[in-house]
Amino acid sequence: METSHNPNANTNSNPNTITSPIPVLWPTIDGSLGLSEEESVSYARRFYKFGFALLPFLWAVNCFYFWPVLRSRSFPRIRPSFQTVTLMLEFSRSITLEDTPFSRPFIIDIVGSAIGFGVSMAIISSWALTFSIGGERLFGPVWDKLVMYNLADKLGLTGWS
Amino acid sequence: MAENKKPTSILESLGEEIVRIVAPVSICMFMVVILVSILNSNSSSSYATVGSIATIAYNESSSDTSWDKFIGALLNSLVFVAVITLATFLMVLLFYLRCVKFLKYYMGFSAFVVLGFLGGEIALFLIEDFSIPIDCFTFLVALFNFAAVGVLAVFMSKMAILVTQGYLVLIGMLVAYWFTLLPEWTTWALLVALAVYDLAAVLLPVGPLRLLVELAISRDEDIPALVYEARPVVNHDSNPRDLVQRRMRVWRERNETSDNRPVAVPDSVSDGNVVSESNVDEIETSNSYPIPIISTAVRAEEGEVHPIRNAELLVPLIDNGGNVQPHGVAEASGSNENLMLEGIGLGSSGAIKLGLGDFIFYSVLVGRAAMYDYMTVYACYLAIVAGLGITLMLLAIYQKALPALPVSIALGIVFYFLTRLFLEVFVVQCSLNLLMF
Repeated sequence: METSHNPNANTNSNPNTITSPIPVLWPTIDGSLGLSEEESVSYARRFYKFGFALLPFLWAVNCFYFWPVLRSRSFPRIRPSFQTVTLMLEFSRSITLEDTPFSRPFIIDIVGSAIGFGVSMAIISSWALTFSIGGERLFGPVWDKLVMYNLADKLGLTGWS
Repeated sequence: MAENKKPTSILESLGEEIVRIVAPVSICMFMVVILVSILNSNSSSSYATVGSIATIAYNESSSDTSWDKFIGALLNSLVFVAVITLATFLMVLLFYLRCVKFLKYYMGFSAFVVLGFLGGEIALFLIEDFSIPIDCFTFLVALFNFAAVGVLAVFMSKMAILVTQGYLVLIGMLVAYWFTLLPEWTTWALLVALAVYDLAAVLLPVGPLRLLVELAISRDEDIPALVYEARPVVNHDSNPRDLVQRRMRVWRERNETSDNRPVAVPDSVSDGNVVSESNVDEIETSNSYPIPIISTAVRAEEGEVHPIRNAELLVPLIDNGGNVQPHGVAEASGSNENLMLEGIGLGSSGAIKLGLGDFIFYSVLVGRAAMYDYMTVYACYLAIVAGLGITLMLLAIYQKALPALPVSIALGIVFYFLTRLFLEVFVVQCSLNLLMF
């Protein structure tokens, strides 16, 4: 994808066609069809918060969607470098920062989503694997009550019409 | 930087667009065929039917005579089409009374039901068939995740294009599988009736779908609908411009230029997804914006001009109450049986849009063919893809929204019966006698 390889080169190469020096590096995996940086902040935060409603898949989708942000290092406004962070901290001591879109870099949301997804997948898969591999030897007669195909038969879920 | 990008040929641009719409249709059909082969080979009778609106008039049983089945099937399909017409008119009425929010939430709810319940049922069938030792908690969590993210992806918010497209194909697959559980004669009669209905509803001036789109265009609003939009093909020959500013602009102009002036709109951007689902009918041909790619190829002249994408008609994009937040998603319309508006058209970025109803009924046809034999599957698949190609060509010629069902369904049905009656005998005899050619 050319977009992430030479973001800066583009602004230098053809001055007669580029009207403004806004770096055209897209934070979403869709590239130019996806969100702009301002929208990405709100979307990332929203996905992160909704993921807490027992939706680890939403966290995974969040990480997938904002993959360029996680991967590359050239998003100065979204992923502040160390200098920017220290500047921001000093600044915030002197002035109360309003909640501007970049006062809280949204990389936190994405990293949080990734961590959340990892943790919940670990929990779920360990439980599921224990259940399926352990089977009746481990659980006893409770296994038959919990396994899905028996439960579906008992509740008549597949005899639908 | 390298300035020498070679000009994109017509094959790359046009072929790419066609492939991007044929590929998901093929994937949907393929998955339905797989589901049908897996799940129906184990089931006892082919009359394990599904009671629904589609069988309300007559429920087929294996002991009836052919004439009874035929009449029953006709009645069923007439009832079904009548229900769909009513539901669409109801939707037109609601849209006219500006209850768009209600429609949107109803669509979200029905998508959740489809993904959750139908998806759950089919997952349970598969679990029983393969005896997968999954427990109920994991299953419920997984199902809930699947359904919730699906609703978000398709309706509520903008998400990765791949995720949205994948969920649309999945919804089409689930509903199509459910429809293949109908009795056989009813299915065929239903397909024919729906093809005729689609033709009427989209092309006649009194058709509900056409009314809907006219309303939407006249109000510059968005229709809630489930529509699959292919990713627009990036034109490498356009001038790269600043994307961010242009993106948020919402075009409101009506198409005063109702004929096609082949003037390409230069380098403005559009969100491929933001499209207003000025979806099915009417003149929803797009304003072709070549999407600027940050390529280093800068060309002053136009380069390859694609006939479809150069239509000068502007699609009124959405702007829900002045909020320029792009809604990537299309909301569906209608009840569960009537989820999608059929039809094919062009989105604002020149990408082709295909209603989800088309996905569903193509897959129903192929699924039904799979219940007989794989030979009919191949024949019907080729017929449907040919029909889709013809429809796309017509779309390029007429530059307005067209019904995508009639041509493909007609070809598919014709070839199904021809294959079943004539080709099969021939091929089987050849194979038995080891005659290859």
